[in-house]
Amino acid sequence: MINRKKFDFVLAAYLLALIIFGCVAIYTASCTTIGEYTTVASNWWKQIIFAVIAIGCTIVLIRLPMPIFDILILPLSILNILALIAVLFTQAIHGSHRWFSLMGIHYQPSESAKLLTIIMTARVISKEHLSELRQIFYGLGMIALPVALIVIEPDLGSTLVFGVSLLAMLVAADVPLFYLLLMVSPIVSIVSSVWWPAIIIWILILVFLLYRSGLSWVPITIASISNIFIALFMPVFWNGLKDYQQNRILTFVDPLRDPLGAGYQIIQAKIAVGSGSILGKGWLQGTQKNMNFLPVHHTDFIFSVIGEEFGFVGSMLLLLLFTLFFLRLIRAVGEIKVPERRIASAGILAYLMFQTFINIGMNIGLVPATGIPLPFISYGGSNLLINTLSVGVVLKYLNERGFMK
Amino acid sequence: MTKSVSTLVFRITLGVLLLVLVVALFRLQVVKGAYYQRIAESNFVRIRRIIATRGEIYDSKYRPIAANIPSQNLYLTSGKIASTERLAAFLLRHFGISAEELKELVFQQRFKSYEEILLAVNVPYETVLSLSERLDRFPELAFRVETTRSYMYPNHFTGYLGRIDQKEYQLYRDEDYSLNGYIGKTGLERYYEVLLRGKDGKEIVQVDAQGRSLEFFREDTSIEPLNGLSLVLSIDNDLQNYADGIFPEGLKGCIVVSDVKTGGILAYVSKPDYDPNVFLQRISPEQWAELNSSSRPLLDRIIHATYPPGSVYKPVTGAEGLEAGLIDRHTRLASCRGGLKIGNRFFRCWSSSGHGSLDIVNAFKVSCDVFFYDLINKANLDNFYRMAVACGVVNKTGIDLPNERNGFYPDSRYYQKKLGRTAGLAGYKANLAIGQGEVLTTPLQINAFFAAIARNGLWVQPHLLVKTMGRSKLAREEVVPIAKHKLPWKPSTLQIIQDGLWAVCNAPGGTARVVSVAGAQSYGKTGSAENFMGKRTHAWFSGYIVKDNPEIVVTVFLENAGGGGAMAAPIANRIFNYYIGNYARIKQPAVIPPQFQTPGDLDTGDAAATESAEPVPDPAETTPAGTEP
Repeated sequence: MINRKKFDFVLAAYLLALIIFGCVAIYTASCTTIGEYTTVASNWWKQIIFAVIAIGCTIVLIRLPMPIFDILILPLSILNILALIAVLFTQAIHGSHRWFSLMGIHYQPSESAKLLTIIMTARVISKEHLSELRQIFYGLGMIALPVALIVIEPDLGSTLVFGVSLLAMLVAADVPLFYLLLMVSPIVSIVSSVWWPAIIIWILILVFLLYRSGLSWVPITIASISNIFIALFMPVFWNGLKDYQQNRILTFVDPLRDPLGAGYQIIQAKIAVGSGSILGKGWLQGTQKNMNFLPVHHTDFIFSVIGEEFGFVGSMLLLLLFTLFFLRLIRAVGEIKVPERRIASAGILAYLMFQTFINIGMNIGLVPATGIPLPFISYGGSNLLINTLSVGVVLKYLNERGFMK
Repeated sequence: MTKSVSTLVFRITLGVLLLVLVVALFRLQVVKGAYYQRIAESNFVRIRRIIATRGEIYDSKYRPIAANIPSQNLYLTSGKIASTERLAAFLLRHFGISAEELKELVFQQRFKSYEEILLAVNVPYETVLSLSERLDRFPELAFRVETTRSYMYPNHFTGYLGRIDQKEYQLYRDEDYSLNGYIGKTGLERYYEVLLRGKDGKEIVQVDAQGRSLEFFREDTSIEPLNGLSLVLSIDNDLQNYADGIFPEGLKGCIVVSDVKTGGILAYVSKPDYDPNVFLQRISPEQWAELNSSSRPLLDRIIHATYPPGSVYKPVTGAEGLEAGLIDRHTRLASCRGGLKIGNRFFRCWSSSGHGSLDIVNAFKVSCDVFFYDLINKANLDNFYRMAVACGVVNKTGIDLPNERNGFYPDSRYYQKKLGRTAGLAGYKANLAIGQGEVLTTPLQINAFFAAIARNGLWVQPHLLVKTMGRSKLAREEVVPIAKHKLPWKPSTLQIIQDGLWAVCNAPGGTARVVSVAGAQSYGKTGSAENFMGKRTHAWFSGYIVKDNPEIVVTVFLENAGGGGAMAAPIANRIFNYYIGNYARIKQPAVIPPQFQTPGDLDTGDAAATESAEPVPDPAETTPAGTEP
């Protein structure tokens, strides 16, 4: 059922290019050279198998008749929620309950939850005649349950993905931007509370933006006062925390406080990327990689290997590829006219973009290590499958353009 | 809003994020690229393990038995290897490490190639000096001054440390063992591994080539190592040394001396023995052949082997006779005419001239076999089996050493299986009565049994550990409780057995008249056990001395050395006399060495050590790795 005229071959080509780039990166990340001898771990051909499976599933998805696809989403979402509950009762791996392990295959229900929740949320908030406030509250309600279950696992990095996706979906649903500004404002207030002049500056900016959005003075006053209140209340709340809780939060924000844990990984990744310099150390020649300073550099820290071996040029190439890919996705969001599908596509776009930038940012020490993999590049079967399928969903929507409305 | 607004928002977001990343990457890779290159080239930043100091092992007077001494160790960082071939040739020439070994070591650690691999310990200082210049060509190699174990004398109880092997590493990797780590392989080193080992610390190394901090991390969050606990044993080095010295040259066997009051082992000698220090070096093929020679120096004859006990077993048989009321102090049994006819077989007594009809005390004294042949056939075998179990000569004693063996005493079920009958066992039973036939015991079981007699019927688990020193001071009871039980003997039974043992050493005609200790009463029993290992009998003696109170139990066992009275008893006699002769010195409480003193110890002396001990830890935690359930 692929419509040749409507099928977005360019987007598919970018997707394929990213996956191939990933397999190549994982091959070099799996190699360890000691003296003249090079050992290769089995990850790279496993990833190729995963890639073939993922692409196969995506083709099946695109060929699936649209009504069947629409019907399947709800039961799959319910199953996924049940899986999220069940996974809490599995044995903890590295201190969290995220994985089902069966015969060496690890499945993270939180991965599929991202895609399914995005589609379900899009379906709910695209209902006609919903007021903007209802759209926001329904959207929050839709992500509340999966987010709560994933927080318990615990997997804080993944929960952020849901929040960002919801924001993007609301943007695509034409919710006025000042609502979103109000949604985000408490978080900015909390962050600004660490330095009191920042509170003043932030509140002034907030008032200005809300005023420009054409709000009357009453809601602006209410919003400002409640934000000031949150900002002022934070220190009280902070002092109420136990020392170890404070430490845990501080370490999350600033991993360098924990040189033997997260800080060590970030510094090693930074050294790897930095030492790649302009042209990189060359194919399979990464010394940081070969010394295995980072124990799992084929997953979350794959970018450090790319940066080390291919240098600034290689990093830029990968960024360029990602940028072209995301621009194409943004174009797709603009072209899809059915509200539900447009909103879902926006959610998928935000979901992939957020992970990409957080992961690369983590590898160069800009953001805390949150355990978010680099889409299409990092090693991992379920991750690759879901990411590819989510692009498949957008391809499918593009393919169905013009059949309705 | 129009459609283009949302598209615009997404494009702007993408652009901003992209800009941030491009700027950050440019700064990191282009502007500071050379700086990070330098750091990467010299591996300045890494996590280093700070190895915890292993606890030492002391005798009861705080004299070292196993100590830590400085050692030059050679390390390899596999990630820096330039040419494996050149390195292999160098290592083979100077350290005898073959290319295959090197490959195996590197392969094991291939996913941690920045971590150093321990190649050799205890490298002689001359070698370090002579190689130091050539080492410049091998940046992957480095010498470090660390500690290694040194054992003060050959023995079988300390055991030895060895490099952790692949199987042990898989088993204990969660407990943070490193592949370079050492682990107790046998003896106390293995049994108390958990106490001795401590916990390694960690630190982040972040200095440049000039030793300046790179200042990636502001705070020093290194984790200090927790040093292992030192063990204080009941062993008395003087007595151990003495017993070791008087062991007859060329013979195989063992001597166990234990303290009646506490059940602690004072001397633990098994011969032939080996020097545990050899296991810390590369063992040469000749050494290896010697360790595995037919005399089996690695075998701990005190607990890892069982032997027919012969006549030292007779108190068990006699006690059952008294307890069951088959005999009393004055009952005379079948007359010994150099043997006794049971069924159609003549069972010989060791003395062909015969002993006549004896009561139990005199039967002990001259070690008449006929008395016990007659006695055991007056009752069911299973009663004697139960008494053997109650006397602690069947099940392992549970001493704090790994791989102790059980003894053996058959019951009627055993014969049912073996012969298909439980009747007509008189001949088998006759042998069992005098500690022959199927009976097997370890010398330690015999020692613990005689200690129970000396202790007026209280059996106490023999043990080596008295207390721990160092980070926390635990009494032995807090580490693993000591098992105790009463022998199921009436006071009269105990008295008669003790009288019998006294007669052996003191009454005219006793088999151990050689044992005579000025200033103490001696008790004991000789044994000469026939066996399949050789023509000559195993020589046994087990006995104790009473000064004002019962003092020490000595068990001497000599493989195929001849008669117990002639061979084993004189050795025990010398130990008794040494003990009484040096009584004041041995009994004098030792001063706790300064490094283990806490303020409380200074005022109240030794007794405070156990009081100031830290709270009792979870028993599951302190159960040593080597124990069996």
